[in-house]
Amino acid sequence: MTTNPTKPVKKLSMQQRYSALTRDIDWTPSYVTEDQLYPHTTYEGIKIHDWSKWDDPFRLTVDAYYRYQAEKDKRLYAVLDGFAQGQGHLTLSDPAYLNAMKIFLGGVTPLEYQANRHFSYLARHFNGPGPRFAAQCQSVDELRHAQTEIHTLSNYNKYYSGMHNFAKMHDRVWYLSVPKSYFDDALSAGPFEFLIAIGFSFEYLLTNLLFVPFMSGASFNGDLPTMTFGFSAQSDESRHMTLGLEAIKFLLEQDEANVPIVQEWVDKWFWRGYRVTAIIAMMLDYMLPRPVMSWKESFELYFEQQMLNGLFPDLAYYGIRPPKGVEQAIWEKEHLSHLVYHTFYQFSHAANLTTSIPTKEHQAWLASAYPDAFEQFYKPKWDKLEKMAAEGNRYFYPGLPQLCQVCQVPMLFTEHGDPTKLCQRHSEFKGEHFNFCSDHCKEIFDREPEKYVQAWLPVHQIYLGNCGGPTIPDVLAWYGYAEGDSGEMLGNVDHNNWKKWHAQVDDSVGGRESVEVGGAAEAGKGA
Amino acid sequence: MIKSLGTYDFPSKSRQELYGDDILVHVWRKDSMFFCAAATFRAPKAMKWTDFVDGMVMPLMTSDPDFDRTKELSWQLVDDSFVPDPDKSLEENGIHHKNTIALIGA
Repeated sequence: MTTNPTKPVKKLSMQQRYSALTRDIDWTPSYVTEDQLYPHTTYEGIKIHDWSKWDDPFRLTVDAYYRYQAEKDKRLYAVLDGFAQGQGHLTLSDPAYLNAMKIFLGGVTPLEYQANRHFSYLARHFNGPGPRFAAQCQSVDELRHAQTEIHTLSNYNKYYSGMHNFAKMHDRVWYLSVPKSYFDDALSAGPFEFLIAIGFSFEYLLTNLLFVPFMSGASFNGDLPTMTFGFSAQSDESRHMTLGLEAIKFLLEQDEANVPIVQEWVDKWFWRGYRVTAIIAMMLDYMLPRPVMSWKESFELYFEQQMLNGLFPDLAYYGIRPPKGVEQAIWEKEHLSHLVYHTFYQFSHAANLTTSIPTKEHQAWLASAYPDAFEQFYKPKWDKLEKMAAEGNRYFYPGLPQLCQVCQVPMLFTEHGDPTKLCQRHSEFKGEHFNFCSDHCKEIFDREPEKYVQAWLPVHQIYLGNCGGPTIPDVLAWYGYAEGDSGEMLGNVDHNNWKKWHAQVDDSVGGRESVEVGGAAEAGKGA
Repeated sequence: MIKSLGTYDFPSKSRQELYGDDILVHVWRKDSMFFCAAATFRAPKAMKWTDFVDGMVMPLMTSDPDFDRTKELSWQLVDDSFVPDPDKSLEENGIHHKNTIALIGA
């Protein structure tokens, strides 16, 4: 390469650099056909006529991207160091708060890593340079999120149970098969379906219900590191949201024949994602010692107002209607969290987290957040379970539950419109009987039964002897559990440690000779 | 029908043959919300109905202190009402792998 030393090279503008980095590195294949080079972009039936119409709204270049991310990382790691050095683990609202983070680490962080892998695949397999580059950037983001989430929570792992084995738990633990199978379903779909499943449904439609509650929970409960991580990821997430929206609009604008295909995916992936949020509903309403907002409020704000009233009127222009299942989800907002926490209470001997009867104060908050449901349908259950616990019979379900073949959640959901009747649906396929939690999971199965017959359902696998052995202790050992990871929260290892640590702090700070253990125990229960 | 790049034909991961002479049977209570969800049992196809109920179903049901065994029970198999023959096997009673049985009353 030769340059003219007398003439200074003119620096490219941001937009020119973006264009040089994306559009200019594309080429037309000469010795293979386009179909041979990109063999995965036609079989789903999606028609793309002009890949150059993909418009990346960010026009971020790689050098700017890394500089910006490095700045954010620096800030995050400074907070992590400060928190660790200042014994920040003692300043949480309550150790029970970390149950929410155990769900996050086991259920969400591994999905970030899977997203990293699959966006990398999209970055290879899309025909157009625009979506390839967008997928490449998102892939790097997802890897950064997985790493920073692990680093953020690793400090707690030194002091608290349930986090030490999160990657293995993600692959093995019964309830973590819900988020895992959700993502596996997307990974094993075609590239366009993945874009609607994860790019649109997960990152746009449901992101404020899936991601934001963990971060606001952290901010209300003294978890400065996770809150800082949340801020660090927020600008990436808003970029992902914009890309998700760009993805669906691009597909819809390219060919009218794409519309019914995309609609089917919107229906399916709304419901798949919504069923994953069941666990978030429980976390928001029952696991935060200092609650932020109820699931019902969260659903109304982030889904009904922002999506149903904001997004879908725009999509109607393309012929897309709100997903099937929306009406049921709206009805369920009053009931979801109560049903799910009740299930975790009964199965917490097998979960990597602890549960307890909600305190009186917490129940009062639930009653005010759910004036039409809590006192009528759910308080009587807690009263009965509390009475049993007081009589020395802390209830654990003595058996294994039935799981939905599609969402893999235990069959805890009720009939749409009737909170007093559990829902049961079923289908036959090639002479085999399959069970579902709802009409919408049944519809998803009936559309692609060949796919869902392969579901690795934890309960069925336990009964096949594929999970460490025939007894519950065998299975828990196979999950990699250690003492204190599961069961009743009160009297648990973390609860006892918390009392001990705070007694020491009170003792040394106050200079008192004796420690009021009862007072510390009250503090340990939280509000 | 699934859209795929090639032949797409994979066996069910929960198919009956993997369980040998056993089947999975689900049981739930239709009139109570005490149990968070229906249960799954692994039982021999040849097990007598009465042994299935006494040996597997009742230990779970009676873990609810309000469960009243003295009341007359009735059953439903999948969608239809069901009067099992107590001395016949699960198979002879027409119960298939992964069928769901509802317990009514109690």
